[in-house]
This record gives sequence, structure tokens and C-alpha cells, in this order.
Amino acid sequence: MSGLKTIVLLSLRDYSHERLLSACAIMGLAAVLAPLLVLFGVKSGIINTMADRLIKDPRNLEITPIGSGRFSREWISQQADLPEVEFIIPQTRSIAASMILGYQNAAKKRTLAVDLIPTAKGDPLLEKWGRVPAENSDITLSASAARKLNVTTGEIISGLVGRRVGGKKEQVTINLRVVSILPVEAFMRDAAFVRLPLLEATEDYRDGFGSITFSWPGNGQPPRNRSYPSFRLYARTIYDVVIVRDRLLNQGIEVYTKAEEIEVVQNLDRSFTIIFKLISIVAVVGYFASMASNILANVNRKSRHLGVTSLIGFSTKNIIWFPIVQSITTSALGTALAVGLYFISEVTINHMFGRYLAESEYVCRLSPVHLMIAFLLTLGLSIVASGYAAFRVTRIEPSKVIRDV
Amino acid sequence: MPVTHSSLVDPQADADSKVDYGSGAEPVYELLEVSKHWKGEHGFVLKVPQLIILRGEKVALVGYSGCGKSTLLDTLAMVLRPDRVNRFTFFAAQERPLDVANAWKRKHMDILARTRMRFVGYVLQTGGLLPFLSVYDNIALSRYGLGLPEKNAVDALAAKLGIERHLKKLPGQLSVGERQRVAIARAMAHSPSVVIADEPTASLDPINAEEIMKLFIQIADENGVTLIVATHEWERVKTLGFRRIKFNLEQEKTDGNVHATVVG
Repeated sequence: MSGLKTIVLLSLRDYSHERLLSACAIMGLAAVLAPLLVLFGVKSGIINTMADRLIKDPRNLEITPIGSGRFSREWISQQADLPEVEFIIPQTRSIAASMILGYQNAAKKRTLAVDLIPTAKGDPLLEKWGRVPAENSDITLSASAARKLNVTTGEIISGLVGRRVGGKKEQVTINLRVVSILPVEAFMRDAAFVRLPLLEATEDYRDGFGSITFSWPGNGQPPRNRSYPSFRLYARTIYDVVIVRDRLLNQGIEVYTKAEEIEVVQNLDRSFTIIFKLISIVAVVGYFASMASNILANVNRKSRHLGVTSLIGFSTKNIIWFPIVQSITTSALGTALAVGLYFISEVTINHMFGRYLAESEYVCRLSPVHLMIAFLLTLGLSIVASGYAAFRVTRIEPSKVIRDV
Repeated sequence: MPVTHSSLVDPQADADSKVDYGSGAEPVYELLEVSKHWKGEHGFVLKVPQLIILRGEKVALVGYSGCGKSTLLDTLAMVLRPDRVNRFTFFAAQERPLDVANAWKRKHMDILARTRMRFVGYVLQTGGLLPFLSVYDNIALSRYGLGLPEKNAVDALAAKLGIERHLKKLPGQLSVGERQRVAIARAMAHSPSVVIADEPTASLDPINAEEIMKLFIQIADENGVTLIVATHEWERVKTLGFRRIKFNLEQEKTDGNVHATVVG
């Protein structure tokens, strides 16, 4: 143990004794690593920003049928079980899926006809931008609906559903609690997101039926085997959009997707990745070769000193750490310098493009995890690069080198 | 720290250690039929038919350069493996014989390294100090390696060798003579049983050489260290109580190799 400790200290002492050469090695590493980090930062920054804007945006994952069909509850739940499907919920007839919302504040009463959109736990649109209604009387409003009603989260509004039975107008009202309001970019139209039972009850009521859940009067209960004309479906990832689309097309269901837009970004991502890999490989191979030759030259140059440590009685398995420790030190300090240079570049680049970016968007961005990976890769690479030099250390014969002047 | 591996203890050597070498003397080295062959255009063969070095003895290996002195020293220091060995036993401390020949055969190099670190000191002709360590750290090196406290030992040796004021300097800032004093201190710092020196004063002026050699021998005597010194000037050391070991050189007619046979 003392032997290894002493060799590690010797190695570090030698490293600081030859500080000029050590500094060159550190800068050599930083010169390779810093541009790679900037390149990787720009790639990940731009792609992530675009991904946030386009790829991960639930609106781009949405798949909706064109026209209307007849989808059974069973078919919907089969779709929900597919691995590519993140979320699916049936939609009732669009003509029936509406409601007149009313809000009375101090000054005056405002009313607004809105589309009702079914939602449930796991709805990516609401999970991202708002809150999913937990109760049948909960409601999430689109930005324009909330603005027109002049209502804010937490307030109670009234919902009115009307029907004409045998030439007679009837209507029911329900008190609804606004649980969240979506931002403008999430949904453009005047709409209200509610749980499916409310939508179904609304449709049934318009068909002349009553609702036990909401205590609405009517001519009996609706038939059991309901079929839905439409659905809202979200693919799990953008890569799944095409898969789900093609599967639905095979079943004769025409759908609307943003597959083309997604493809453009995916291609960009792929091209970026390939370019980055090529540059990385060239840089890594070049650096590896220069590092390995540098360490080997060092070991050859210091073979007398290493021979003397062997002569004093340090064992070979300890002495091999001499080049490895220096190599590790270079990679640690070189990475630290590269990261420093990278951060200067990152701040400069993001500042330059600042006005094109929303908050929490970046042109150049690396997470601490990325930097940690860069360090560990450099470390691993430097240990491998010192491998041959370490092997050469084991071949040093003290009697051949200790008398060299 | 177990220096001797049980399987490496030479039973023969144990028995032999009871052999009387005269007036209660004990051996440190016992070599029988050891030889090393350097191949090449000018082939060279070192032969040691028999060599026994006793504890506390001062031995001078005397001969011209190239006669095999360094080869024999490195073999005794266990850093150079001979081609043929009948017996090579190192009695590290009393009653602890190490079968070096067997350790070589089994490639137990770590055991040899540990034995060297604990029981052997080595002085080279030109310092062999590590340029990136202070004089103090150079002297303390083997004590660091052994995990021993170093302060008192280093200070005491530095005082004896007159290098106290250089302890914080790097070897590059010292004269050749001062560096040899540091090298001697380093070889002695861990209280070894044996100190091996290869022409320790050959690169010094005669006055310095004489003074440093006297200090060297004085410190060795005070500590009961067995001293093995290679020199090409027998005249310099013959009054200092050394046993002389010679190298008989002859050229083989058939292959042109020079054969050096150790006699003494």
C-alpha cells in the first residue's frame, strides 16, 4: 500500500516538476475537447429546442381521423393497449359535443358556445399545459374561451345543454369548476376539456335520453353498445406516429398527422448526429494517437528514473501506475479546462441568439450528465492510451537503464 | 511484512546456515554456479563458481570496466536474472534465508522487490537521484515505500554526510560530490542489511572521493551493514578493510566470447 501511494506521489511530483510539458498536454486535450463540446452543445441545444418545439410537442403526436367512423369501446381499448399509443379517448358526435358556458361576475353575464373535447388522466396535451379534470364537473378551458368568458382558474361557471323534444325546447344546466386554463399555443379554438361521462351525457341528452349521473330527465337510458364517430389519439413518440398512422390506414381509417413536419426534424437530427459522430471519431482517433505517443515517449524518456524506483524496490505492479496517474491527471485537468472554455462559448452563443429564443430554450446546451460523460470518456480513453506505456514499464530492466547518464 | 515466502525458504540453505564460516560468522549471500551470458558481437559470459559474503563484511569487486562488476552487483541486488543458477540464497536477516533462484524461476518478482526495498541499498556511480524530488524526499524514498517514519533517519544521515542545508533543494542544484552524498544517504536510510555500490566515487576528484568513501565506510560500520563495492582502483580501498574479489578474464578460442570468472 505504501508502495503504491509513494508511486502515485512520485508521479504527481514529476508531473508538477515538468509543469511546462504537463501544461502543453493539458492544453492539447482541451484544444480537442473544447470544440467537440461546443459542437455537441450546439447540436443538443438546437435539436432539443426544435424537439421541444416540434418533436416532443403533443400537438405533433396527435392523430385524428378524417371524417367520421364507427369505433366501438372495445376497439378503442385495444388501441390503448398498443405500445406505440400513449393516449386514446373516444370522441362523441361533433354536433352534439358542444355546450353554452356562462359566467356571471359583478358587472355582467357572459356566455359562450364552446366545443367539448374529451379528456382523461394521461392526456399529453393537458398533462403538459394544464390540469386534467378529476371530477365530472371539472373543466379545463382553452385560452380564448377563458378570455371571452373573463374567467380564471378555480371559479365556478355554468354549462347549458339544450334540446328540442317534439317541437318543445328543453335545457339542463350544470355547475362546472375551472381547474385550469391552457395557454394560447396549446389550443386555438374556443373549447372546453371535460371528462367523457359529461360528453356522453350531453350527447344522450340531445338524443332525448336522460342521465342518471347528472340527474337529467329524459326518455329512458341510452343503448349500451355505444359507438363513437371519432377519437383523439397521441402516439408515444414521434417515431411512433408513422407506425400508428400506417396501421390505421391499413384498417381503412384515414387520419390526419404531422408526420411530414416530424420527418424533416428527424432527418435534421439524424444528419446532425452523423456529422457529429464523424467529427468526434476523427478528433478522438487523432487525440488518442497523440496522447498514446506522448505517454510512451515520456516513459521512454524517464526509463532511467523508473529503473531507479525499481532498483530501490518498488514493485512493477506499482510502478505501472506512474504513467497512468499522469495520464489521469492530464485528462482531469484537460477536461476541466475544456469545460471552462466550453462554458465561455456557451454563454456567448446563447447571448448572440438570445432574441430568437423563448425562455428555457437554448442554441447551445450541455447537461451536467453530458459533461460527466465527456469526462469519463476522456478518462477511459487516457487510461487505454497509457496502457501500452504501462506495459513498457513492466519491460524496463533496471540493469539496462540505471547507468545511462 | 512477510519477506520470505514459505515455499521460497531454501531448506538446503537452512541446513547450510549451521555450517561454520569461522568465528560465528553468518552468510548474507551464498551463490553457487551462477552465470550470465550477454550475447552479441562481443559476447561476454560472467561465471560465479562460488561466492559467499558474510554479514558485516566489506567486499570490493575489483576489475577494469567491462569485466562484469556491474553485472555481478545487479545480480546481487536481484534486479538482473542470471541464465544459470545452482544456488542463490539471500539471508535477508538472521534465520530468514530467501531462495532467490527459486523466486526467479517462479517469477515472484514482487517478493524480490520487497526484499530489495527492505534489506538492500544501492549507490550508483552517478547519483541516480530522482530530479523531481527534493534531496529530503530522495533520501526518504525507501522509507516512504516501506511506510516507515522518515524524519529522524533522514536528519541523522544528512548530518553525518554534511548535507543538512541541501535537504530542500532539488538534486539538479547540487554538485556531483553532494549528489553522491545524497545517494549514499538514500541507500542507508532504511537501515538495510546490505549496501551495494557501483564505483561510488569514480566520478569525483581524489580529495572528495577519499572523504566520501571514508564517510560511507564509517556509516556502514556503525550500522553493521554488509558493504559490496565495485571499483577499478584497488589501491584506493585496500587500506580500508575490504576483502578483494577479482575477475579472471579469458577469451574462448571457439566462439570468441570473453569469459569472466569471479575469484575470491
